[in-house]
Amino acid sequence: MGILAAVNRVYWHEFFFMLFAGISVVFAVCVLLTQNIVRMAFYLVLSLGSTAGLFFLAGAEFVGAMQLMIYVGGTLVLLIFGVMLTAQQRYVKMNTHPTDWVLATIVGGSLLVLLIGAAAGVDSWKDASASKKALAELDVDDARTATPLGLALTGVRVDKLDSDDPALANGQSGYLLPFIIVSVHLLVVLIGAAYMARTKRSATAPVGRAERARLNIMQMEHETDDVVYSASKQSSSSLLDSDQSQAEESTDEAQE
Amino acid sequence: MNLQQLIKQLANDSTESLSWFLPEIVLCAVIMLLLLVRLFDGKQRLDLWFVAIAGSVVSFLFSQPWLVCGGGVERTEIFTGLLVIDGFTIAVRSIILLFLVLFLVFTKISGIPDSDDSPDIYTLVFGATLGMCLMVSSNHLLMIFLAIEMASVPSYALAGMLKGRKRGSEAALKYAIYGAGAAGVMLYGISLLAGLTSSAHLPTIALQLAENLGTMSGSEQLVLVLSGLLISVGLAFKLSAVPFHFWAPDVFHGSCAEVNAFLSIASKAAALGLLVRIGIGVGYVPGLEQEVAQDVEAGPAVVAGLLPVAEEAIEPIEDSVEQEVTVNEALQPVRDFIGKLIALLAMITCTFGNLAAYSQTNIKRLLAYSTIAHAGYMMMAIAPLMSSLGSDYGVAEGALSGLLLYIVVYVFMNLGAFAVVAFLRNYIASEEIADYSGMIRSRPYIVICLVLALFSLVGLPPLAGFLGKFAVFASIADAFRATDATYLLVLLLVGGVNTALSLYYYLRVAKIMVMEEPAEGVDIEQYPKAGLEAVYLVAITLPTALLIFFWNPVHAYVVDAVKALIS
Repeated sequence: MGILAAVNRVYWHEFFFMLFAGISVVFAVCVLLTQNIVRMAFYLVLSLGSTAGLFFLAGAEFVGAMQLMIYVGGTLVLLIFGVMLTAQQRYVKMNTHPTDWVLATIVGGSLLVLLIGAAAGVDSWKDASASKKALAELDVDDARTATPLGLALTGVRVDKLDSDDPALANGQSGYLLPFIIVSVHLLVVLIGAAYMARTKRSATAPVGRAERARLNIMQMEHETDDVVYSASKQSSSSLLDSDQSQAEESTDEAQE
Repeated sequence: MNLQQLIKQLANDSTESLSWFLPEIVLCAVIMLLLLVRLFDGKQRLDLWFVAIAGSVVSFLFSQPWLVCGGGVERTEIFTGLLVIDGFTIAVRSIILLFLVLFLVFTKISGIPDSDDSPDIYTLVFGATLGMCLMVSSNHLLMIFLAIEMASVPSYALAGMLKGRKRGSEAALKYAIYGAGAAGVMLYGISLLAGLTSSAHLPTIALQLAENLGTMSGSEQLVLVLSGLLISVGLAFKLSAVPFHFWAPDVFHGSCAEVNAFLSIASKAAALGLLVRIGIGVGYVPGLEQEVAQDVEAGPAVVAGLLPVAEEAIEPIEDSVEQEVTVNEALQPVRDFIGKLIALLAMITCTFGNLAAYSQTNIKRLLAYSTIAHAGYMMMAIAPLMSSLGSDYGVAEGALSGLLLYIVVYVFMNLGAFAVVAFLRNYIASEEIADYSGMIRSRPYIVICLVLALFSLVGLPPLAGFLGKFAVFASIADAFRATDATYLLVLLLVGGVNTALSLYYYLRVAKIMVMEEPAEGVDIEQYPKAGLEAVYLVAITLPTALLIFFWNPVHAYVVDAVKALIS
């Protein structure tokens, strides 16, 4: 019984907030302190994962789920794979220069001071009992944010129905347009990524103006970047490309 | 109101909005078409340039620039307040789409991208243009961010368009990383602003600010200022304003002149349009003055009719007049903050751009710094707009129409300069200014066009650049006379000094091309003859040279375009 009473006395919301906030901050600091890239990525997973916990605690279940799916599930797994596939011995360790530390401390520290000052300046946030009271009054239905969000993305703002302030209700826009237009954006970006990743197709028959422009650019590249090309012999693609264009150039000259 | 009514409202609103959204829809359709046509073209590769140029012309026609004439377009919010259509939107959108048409012709003549790459590159160009059209019509913080990203991300890929080149890839990567950083900072500022005002809809934000500005605590004001600064970081990056300009010279040097033209003109025009949208959106509640004017007109008429209702009706009207006037007066601190911030950025940007251009030996880097300087000149027009928006509408209109005029002029003169750089690269395989020496003997037409474009960039009369600069500086002088604010006088002086500064490095290029002997060992006879290139350049340069004769209709057009925006 003693244990149960003790369990009841703990204010669990605060406890979990401290827990998640602590994990998130500690591992964020770990990201800074470690020099191994793979470990950095793993610490980032933990830090961002516990940030999702903070979102759940704040009643933003949708945002929390998105945080888990996008950052922890998507971006970071991609990051870890990228690191694992590309990191060779000498690239695994990252050494930060002391002057970088000083600069980063100045910039980051001043931002931190500014933000803490701003956060501590809001009067309504200082009263701890008020937030407890608000939490006790919170209806569980209020926390179901996924449905109104989904409806808002199709253009219907159901939260308009029970908004008190008519001045604000006017500004509640449905998000149908961004929802649709972002798909065009993603398509374009996908094509851009495919274009960047693809190697240049072997040149078709010379088509006058276009071919001349391309060759001229390649020629400029040889004049100015010779040193660079010889220095980066590992990158076979650029060598291949320049060899090819040299070959094309010589045939072009022969034709003339 | 219940759910059914909401859905019915949405359906009505969406169908009405679509008729204003046709240019963007055409752009989306062209993107699809560019991808789909390739499925069916079999062995012989169709040149998709024809699809692109047809799409851009149709899109330009759908943007209906003639609607603006006579000030016939009223402010309309579409898509439940996400976008706003008025004369300014239509004018800037038409300018961007007209530039797209000219740009596509330019790429066809210069030969970059070749027919292999062109579908992908044109898809990216159309995607970026779509984002730019949304930028100038944004009325909501979410759309602002989305539109900036839609315009930026394809630009990152465009910067690395020529593959297998170290410098091009470096430019693209630098641009992408700096851009992502700036977007993150801007998003943070947007979240602060939305959190403070509990809305993301710009006019609602303005109303909330007007209501709460007086009672805000010190720390809340600090957060408000912070959000303004953070948002300005993202915008300054798009505008390549100092201190967020460092990407511009590297990106311009690394990517080809065609992409430079696109980034330097379309992207700047859209970013300035967005700057105006945010400035007016947050610092001014539109439509109120119109009501006031109507009330005033209606007032005497009702009295003259001696209707018994009149005396009852007049009282509430007077109340509303008082309330509405104070809303825009209460926003004066917001406008002052935006105006002074932009004035400061503009002065630094302009001076830095002009000074850094002095030591450049590469024409693309020189034009990159010149782009930075011109972004500064154009941002200067925002300061008088903000300072006189609530008090003197004539001056505010003058500033905005001056900006619009500058953008129109800038499209032609900068496109001319970059087109010359691209064409000369095709002839002599060099972009170093020293290699241009004595060029006038071998290709007089091209050199004359470049010299005219450079003189116009300086702002020498009687070229078009002078008219743009004069309109902007005159509006600053007007605003100074109206408000007596010292910073406007400083702005005017800095602008004048900068124009004199810029004379030297533009004229140096002209001098090298015209007065110096060709380099030894260069046989000017071996160059191929300019055909289409010369025709295109003359067509681009003619508006720059002859605008002074058609000054009145153009000026009337830009004044009409801004009329409904602020009065």
